[in-house]
Amino acid sequence: MTDREDLPDVNGYSRTSVLVSAVVGLAVAALSVLWAQGFRVGYESLYRVNPTVEGGGIGSDWVFGNTIPALDFLIALIHAADVIMGAFILVMVFIHWAAFQRLAGKMRDPGEDVGEAVAADGGSPARGDGQGGDGA
Amino acid sequence: MSNLDHGKFTRVTTLFHSLLGLDVFLLFFTGYAIMFNDELWWMLTLMGGASGVTAIHRITGIGLVALVVFWITLQLISSTGRSNFSKILPAKDDIDAFIQDVQFVLGRADERHPSARQFAGYKADEVPLLSYIGKGVVAIFSIELTLLAISGLLIWSKTGLAAMFQTKAAAMAFVTFHGLLGVIMLMGVMFHIFEHGMHPAFYPVETKAFIPRSMVPEHHGDDDEEPDTTGIERLSLSPSWRTVSTVFGAMTVIGIVSVLVGSIFDEGYPVPRELAIGGGPSSILLTVGINLGMIVLGVGLVLSMYGNVLRIRWEQQLEQEREPTTAADGGEPQTDGGRPDAGDSEN
Repeated sequence: MTDREDLPDVNGYSRTSVLVSAVVGLAVAALSVLWAQGFRVGYESLYRVNPTVEGGGIGSDWVFGNTIPALDFLIALIHAADVIMGAFILVMVFIHWAAFQRLAGKMRDPGEDVGEAVAADGGSPARGDGQGGDGA
Repeated sequence: MSNLDHGKFTRVTTLFHSLLGLDVFLLFFTGYAIMFNDELWWMLTLMGGASGVTAIHRITGIGLVALVVFWITLQLISSTGRSNFSKILPAKDDIDAFIQDVQFVLGRADERHPSARQFAGYKADEVPLLSYIGKGVVAIFSIELTLLAISGLLIWSKTGLAAMFQTKAAAMAFVTFHGLLGVIMLMGVMFHIFEHGMHPAFYPVETKAFIPRSMVPEHHGDDDEEPDTTGIERLSLSPSWRTVSTVFGAMTVIGIVSVLVGSIFDEGYPVPRELAIGGGPSSILLTVGINLGMIVLGVGLVLSMYGNVLRIRWEQQLEQEREPTTAADGGEPQTDGGRPDAGDSEN
């Protein structure tokens, strides 16, 4: 690895950067716990999200209790985003599924004889383990 | 040489990716055991009911905050992070790559666009750090994770919500918002698993995210012999690929559609009054579909672990080879008599 340090592609992150980032990450996480938990226990029990509690969790009065139209809009917006992104993601799945089929068509079939092939670097051709050149 | 083996991730990135994956999967399993509790009642029960699930969800949520802040800080303070930033911004090439991908599928293009060759090889220096899908994944997951972490913390901090909106209904709206927002990411992660697990050349898992690029031998020298194509025609298809990719592809599509439909039904009431098995808007089909989606996530988790096992095996193999020689750069191993499984033999 030392012989490739001059190549920009293999530069990693320095130990110091990683250490500093880890400390910052853990510190912010600890502070956010402190903030989210708070010190006033009364509020916690008052507004607790208790999905399976008898008599209703925090959601039971949503429809009647909501007096803020912006929240309705926000949720409608996310619903729309869900549907649009969902459709888009499905298109992506189908494109890749089909592309994979085409790529598979270019590959050797499982039983095909690979004895004749010689790889350009003089090594042996890929084994039939599907791992390709990744050398798994 | 198949030329499909250039690395992408640094060692820090591979570790971060695995930890983030594990954390996000736990958040999905717990969060959607609550939101889709009538379809995933078994999952809720398995994780200790409502209190167990919410406890795990909060602990992993804090893990997510730590991971996200770690990553943002690292990108800001390191030169590697800053230099990578320009490579994640969308460009005209990405639109071209998308169009060519469609043409490739329809048989009107022979190859995928260079900017879409995240997997399909070519020379390492011709392949962008991220394909258009990779850029999309980074963009969507970054925005999602940030919004989910913020809304999650607001939900957790009832004092914070009360200060902002005064009412329980507002708190409830944030629960809804948080759950519906996560659905986009849930669908995206299913696609992500399919995309990285079912590529015929890399099946059952693409190892670039697990084997750091500093360890992957790149093809240097012998420029006149550098192949012009991906070399995919030299690879053998795994015997199980057709069956498994068809089944898994179907599961992915059914899973995505089901959580999408489920999220529409659950409007306003992602957290119901009481746990009702098979109650609410659920039907047999939806229950089966959402559970299939969770199995897709489970497969992703297994593949992630498998990728890490491969890295460990790869490291051991490199270690063995490095002792007598520097053959790990893709050249001929000095000896092959004693090591029939020498890693270079398939390059």
